[in-house]
Amino acid sequence: MAECPVCGAEVTLASDAVVSELMECPDCGTELEVLELDPPTLGEAPQSEEDWGQ
Amino acid sequence: MKVGFLHSLIRPEEKLLIKEFEKQPNVDLVMLDDRELVFDLRRKVAVDVVLERCINHSRAMHGLRMLESMGVRCVNTAAVAAVCGDKILTSLELFDHGVPQPELRVAFTKESALSAIEELGYPVVLKPAVGSWGRLLAKVNDREAAESILEHKAILGSYHHSIFYVQKYIDKNGRDIRSFVVGDDCIAAIYRSSDHWITNTAQGATATCCPITDDIAEISLRAASAVGGGILAVDLFETPDGLLVNEVNYTMEFRNSVPATGVNIPEKIVSYVVALAQ
Repeated sequence: MAECPVCGAEVTLASDAVVSELMECPDCGTELEVLELDPPTLGEAPQSEEDWGQ
Repeated sequence: MKVGFLHSLIRPEEKLLIKEFEKQPNVDLVMLDDRELVFDLRRKVAVDVVLERCINHSRAMHGLRMLESMGVRCVNTAAVAAVCGDKILTSLELFDHGVPQPELRVAFTKESALSAIEELGYPVVLKPAVGSWGRLLAKVNDREAAESILEHKAILGSYHHSIFYVQKYIDKNGRDIRSFVVGDDCIAAIYRSSDHWITNTAQGATATCCPITDDIAEISLRAASAVGGGILAVDLFETPDGLLVNEVNYTMEFRNSVPATGVNIPEKIVSYVVALAQ
């Protein structure tokens, strides 16, 4: 169980979660990044930049 | 075999690719997070091949180029990334290889851009040369809008927003086509449909299966070859005069395309990368 850094909700990581994976807080909807698996740690995902995506 | 996986954030596409790599019996996947890497040009990264899946174009392009200088084979190549990441360079390659595309102009000042727009005739689409997900596209319907948008770009944007890429507006009837090319094969295609004139799925367009006709396969493979080949997504417009290539993407997203087409796109990509490294 990890804690959402924005709203403090307890967030369960998927069993196949990987470091750097994007996910959404089910409570507040903030886009989060998995920072560590052990212990499960979440951070706010970086804001999109001008040269992101295709 | 050591496969380097150049990435930053792990999106659904990267997760699917990682799972496919894990199914390969002889692959040791080496995660290369572009936020943690420090490139020493004299020290080779110890992998047999790298699959690039960065979210930033600039990091992908420069990272690939440095990896290649170390002798690492990269998919896609740095040259493909440089071309596909810049709409002007993409249009040049398409033009040089005789691949049909919408009419376009490039200009470097507000005044010359306005002349180019008036010459093409309204409406036109102004696009940043580097950009994606349909962001900062502007459909320009008349001279007043053109003057306003050009001034905003020149004054408020960074210097590269004063490189004006002007494309003739194509009436898409609510959809375009994105086809997927892996090596010598056009493996899948989707229609991207939207009530909005921008039909990127990142902007809310819906993806449905598009049968791969001979015409779609042919122009997709020609476009892929023109930019250097590899693993590419080709955006196509349907017009009364035939298909036109709008863009070619080198780190494509496909999360919506797998369920829409039933094609295991990540498996095709992984097989291609592993075969290249063998």
